[in-house]
Amino acid sequence: MFLNRSEGLALALPAALFTFLVFLVPVGILLSVAFQNEDGALSLRGYLDFFAQPLNRAVFLRTLKLGVLVALTSAVIGYLAAFCIVNLPPASRGRIFGLVVLPLMISPVARTYAWIVILGRTGIVNDVVVGLGLSDTPLRLLFTETAVFIGLLQLFLPLMIISLVSSMENIPKDVVPAARVLGASWLQVFVRIILPLTKEGLVIGGTLVFTGALTAYITPAILGGSKVLMLETLLYQKVNVSNDFVSASVIAMILIVMCFSANLALKRVASVRR
Amino acid sequence: MSRLATWLILAATLTFLIGPFLIVIFAGLSAGEALAFPPQGLSLKWYAKVFTVESFRASFALSMFLAVFGTLAALLIGIPAAYALNRYDLPGAETIRTIVAAPIIVPGIIVGLALLRYFVVPLNVTITLALFVTHTALVLPYAVRVVSSSLNNLRADMEEAAVILGCTRLQAFTKVVLPNIRGGILAAFILGFVASFNEVPASLFLSGPGVRTLPIDMLSYMEITFDPSVAALSALLAFMSVAIVFLAERLLGFSRYV
Repeated sequence: MFLNRSEGLALALPAALFTFLVFLVPVGILLSVAFQNEDGALSLRGYLDFFAQPLNRAVFLRTLKLGVLVALTSAVIGYLAAFCIVNLPPASRGRIFGLVVLPLMISPVARTYAWIVILGRTGIVNDVVVGLGLSDTPLRLLFTETAVFIGLLQLFLPLMIISLVSSMENIPKDVVPAARVLGASWLQVFVRIILPLTKEGLVIGGTLVFTGALTAYITPAILGGSKVLMLETLLYQKVNVSNDFVSASVIAMILIVMCFSANLALKRVASVRR
Repeated sequence: MSRLATWLILAATLTFLIGPFLIVIFAGLSAGEALAFPPQGLSLKWYAKVFTVESFRASFALSMFLAVFGTLAALLIGIPAAYALNRYDLPGAETIRTIVAAPIIVPGIIVGLALLRYFVVPLNVTITLALFVTHTALVLPYAVRVVSSSLNNLRADMEEAAVILGCTRLQAFTKVVLPNIRGGILAAFILGFVASFNEVPASLFLSGPGVRTLPIDMLSYMEITFDPSVAALSALLAFMSVAIVFLAERLLGFSRYV
């Protein structure tokens, strides 16, 4: 530890100043717009107007719903997959884990694009459905909430699996077999042993997936289009189609508040255990 | 759980995560005009076409530029910051940490809009510069965090010893600290490069005539054209990212730092 504080500050200052000036200041101004009326006085008009419109309310609720659904579903799949991965022999464990991480390196545009090939009018699913005679005309699968849900789940599931694997690795090897020998059912093993011991991983993974899904732009843009708007795509529309900067600022504030509260909740729950 | 159940669950999960991507690779191999799977005949023509589309070439160059120089700039200010936060008892260290980490928490689309309205327009800055600044800010948190964690593993007494033995502080840093955190710096660079190259939401509002990052260009291309070239390009980009990460892992055990 060096004691010359001004030297230390001089080293840290460029990064802090840079982020503050080109990042926090513009974002701060943007957020403040929603708290002013036309004369520049303090007001909540922007928020009241925003939530007065049924479309905006529906988009807000849909975003929240999809975020929660994606987080819950990825937790269920994540626990199954993580439990399997942790119990693999070490050699194949590394390889399988690598395959789970791999998608994170691939551009989200490419990953989302795949679903067009699968769910589109001439996609694989429709080929099968029409080919088997289940339906005469291709089904509309793209631009539905289900499509957005599937896309988001695929995008963020790896984050959940990674968090759960790293917290499950800390459970002593013989705890689960011991509980089984003593007569616990799988459900009891999960609720009374695995869940409490992996709570931290679940919370971290859940927050990453939830905030990821709330703030994803590409997936709702490609798979939802203007039929299934989420807050991010709605913000884009407000700016580029209707030039409505007040609503854009309101949406920005909502997104930031949701992300920050998820992060705060994460910190609290994670620190309770220590 | 039985072995069969284990492998079934893993196979299903991996099919869901990676399967769609394999489909994209094959869809790009189509000999036909429209996007379809299975492809109508096999050919490499769409993979070849990607290189002839003028806008893809321009946006690829821009994305490369941002990913390389944005990450370098982030390292240039991020390494000293990580060093100061690790080695000095700074007043307000927590505040500095929070400020530098903020770009990770704030959703990208908000960043892009804020910079467009309150940085580009009033200061009359070019879009390219705004993109550069944005990407630097977005990569900075990774740079500080990864370099910090490798500084944590390097004992401060080594530097003190170097100073006692007659090095100046700068020499101690360049001769003792830098060589020891080289792996961490490279890991931060790769992480930053991939993050910047794949970035979309923050760059969304920051595009002007002829100035677009590659992922954004792909998004607008596929709104107009429905041919397999985006599939081919997606596959090529994925190979690029995976190859970079794979090489990094092989050469320096990348995953230790992330």
